[in-house]
Amino acid sequence: MPFGYHGRYLRIDVSDATVERLRLAETVLRQFIGGSGLGARLLLDEGCAHLDALDPRAPLIFAFSPLVGSPLTTSAKFAVVSKSPLTDRINDSLASSGFAIAGKSCGCDAIVLVGRAPELSVLIIDDGEVRLESAADYAGATCQATDERLRSHLGANFRIATSGPAGERGVRYATISHDGRHAGRGGSGSVMGAKNIKAIAVRGTQRPEWAQPRELTAISKDLSRRSFGPATAKYRELGTATNLLTFNRFGALPTRNFQSGTFDEVQSISPEQLSTTRAKTRASCVTCTIGCEHIYGVGEGTVRVEYESLFALGSLCGIGDADVVLRASQRCDELGIDTISTGGTIAFAMECVERGWLDEPWLTFGNGEALLRAIDLIGSRQGLGDLLAEGSRRAAHAIGHDSIAIAPQVKGLEIPGYEPRALQTMALGFAVGARGADHNRSGAYEVDFSEKVDRRHVTLDAVRHAIDTEDRAALMDSLIICKFLRGVFEDFQGEAAAMLRSVTGWDVTAAELRETATRIIAAKREFNLLAGWTPAEDTLPDRFLDTPLPGDAAASLSRERLDALVAEYHRQRGW
Amino acid sequence: MHVEFLGVSRERAGVAEVDVQAETLGRLLGALAVRMPGLAELISVDRLHPSLAANLNGDRFISDPETPLSKDDRVLILSADVGG
Repeated sequence: MPFGYHGRYLRIDVSDATVERLRLAETVLRQFIGGSGLGARLLLDEGCAHLDALDPRAPLIFAFSPLVGSPLTTSAKFAVVSKSPLTDRINDSLASSGFAIAGKSCGCDAIVLVGRAPELSVLIIDDGEVRLESAADYAGATCQATDERLRSHLGANFRIATSGPAGERGVRYATISHDGRHAGRGGSGSVMGAKNIKAIAVRGTQRPEWAQPRELTAISKDLSRRSFGPATAKYRELGTATNLLTFNRFGALPTRNFQSGTFDEVQSISPEQLSTTRAKTRASCVTCTIGCEHIYGVGEGTVRVEYESLFALGSLCGIGDADVVLRASQRCDELGIDTISTGGTIAFAMECVERGWLDEPWLTFGNGEALLRAIDLIGSRQGLGDLLAEGSRRAAHAIGHDSIAIAPQVKGLEIPGYEPRALQTMALGFAVGARGADHNRSGAYEVDFSEKVDRRHVTLDAVRHAIDTEDRAALMDSLIICKFLRGVFEDFQGEAAAMLRSVTGWDVTAAELRETATRIIAAKREFNLLAGWTPAEDTLPDRFLDTPLPGDAAASLSRERLDALVAEYHRQRGW
Repeated sequence: MHVEFLGVSRERAGVAEVDVQAETLGRLLGALAVRMPGLAELISVDRLHPSLAANLNGDRFISDPETPLSKDDRVLILSADVGG
């Protein structure tokens, strides 16, 4: 068994709680590392690409990594990998904190779930021993309530990942929540719901050894020291929400379902304003020294505020009332739904109402009560919510009127808060993303905010930069280490190799890790090919290709240019 | 020219905007470091710390201290680590 790993994974059929303890070859671990990479490999090995994502036989994989449990800052993370019920393509979604450490301490590097429990159940993995308990008492409970009640019932040293009411009801963008954080994108919560699993509770005592503990400690201390510096100040001092005013200034803040790149009421929902009028606290994931979480008071409770939630539930829906936006984000957390897909789908419906394509006159841009009502309808799948729970692509096909042209999605995944016409390297990143429009698997927006390109007139030179950010993300998501650290590295692959050497003892190099990243990207593509992917999917909705961004005529992306960028991307990938 | 601060740079500068006259980016940054002590630790003589970036008129990003500036320009100082 290599250092840093257990060298095996648990494959659990939740139909009857039977468990197989399967060996993971060292060659596979070295080739795919962990997290997203290992999850993608295991998903391919399951031979399930042809299955519907919500078929009980379709696997749901929780993948840990060699760095989990180490003193390396931000390393307490896990990946959730499955076929996405939203995109019908691969989905890998990450979340943080104690579940990663407790899950790995069960003596495994990954947990693969298949089957469907006979009743709504809690899956308990207690130091590697597996059992099911009825979750009948938790039916319909929020993510937070389920977590609290289960910890009270099982013991505080269990760590729990849970789906909310939306996961039980098959909302296609339901999340898996842990400790208030979410594996948010792509609908892994509804995959868990399809297995009749309300929550997974883990605890354990099994810790793998490190190959070079002294070196690992030195690297960890140095990384922690650097993580306190200016490179992470943005996350520490203001959080990701500070993007709001910046993106608005650059005309890149998606507003009213991408009908504008600026929002008149942006100040009122910005963290700079929120922090002057509301109580705020900060929090960190386990092992993290950055502390990016900014938690604001709303009503009787609190809510974590991130840029993506503020944009999706704020400017995208034309909502400038901070209280409404925070309540909407809080409600999404309770129901267990992805804020980006929720806001994107509702904003799409609002524009359809505006155009007379959808007869729901109450659902208008800027109407906060309508936003909150729509969220609750989605969570319960009642009325219009049953359609919106399908996501904007499926909703567009049902609505007709060529509304697919304005559905803000790629491969079915709603577009995050980056206006593609104003950030055209990111437009490429969205178009080619394996899981759809995605700012976590491609950091191409960084290229747009640099001297490397003219963000509104990108050329083929942008492609190699976009690939670099995609490769780096694949590596960070497989090690796993937080992307908010990316600014502290001068030679990320070199430093990552040193981390991995100290943990595993392998003679891994930066060059090898570059190859590893490419291999992981290729594995995701291989799954998508088996699931039916065609090159025509690597594009953007017509809205972004036929119309300059209103208010910024320079922000125009022709279909011809995007097609050329995508073709060059495929060529450089060797596809 | 007019200087706009966004994100961390605004926190450190203590203001959202300021007018400063300088012929080049380097001289502008030097002047800001003198005028705004909170920002000074993120300016090394005539260059921004790598965690910050400068943009000219919302169009192109600039880092060369010799980049010429004119009185009608607007310089934006923002986090280099945009997004997330």
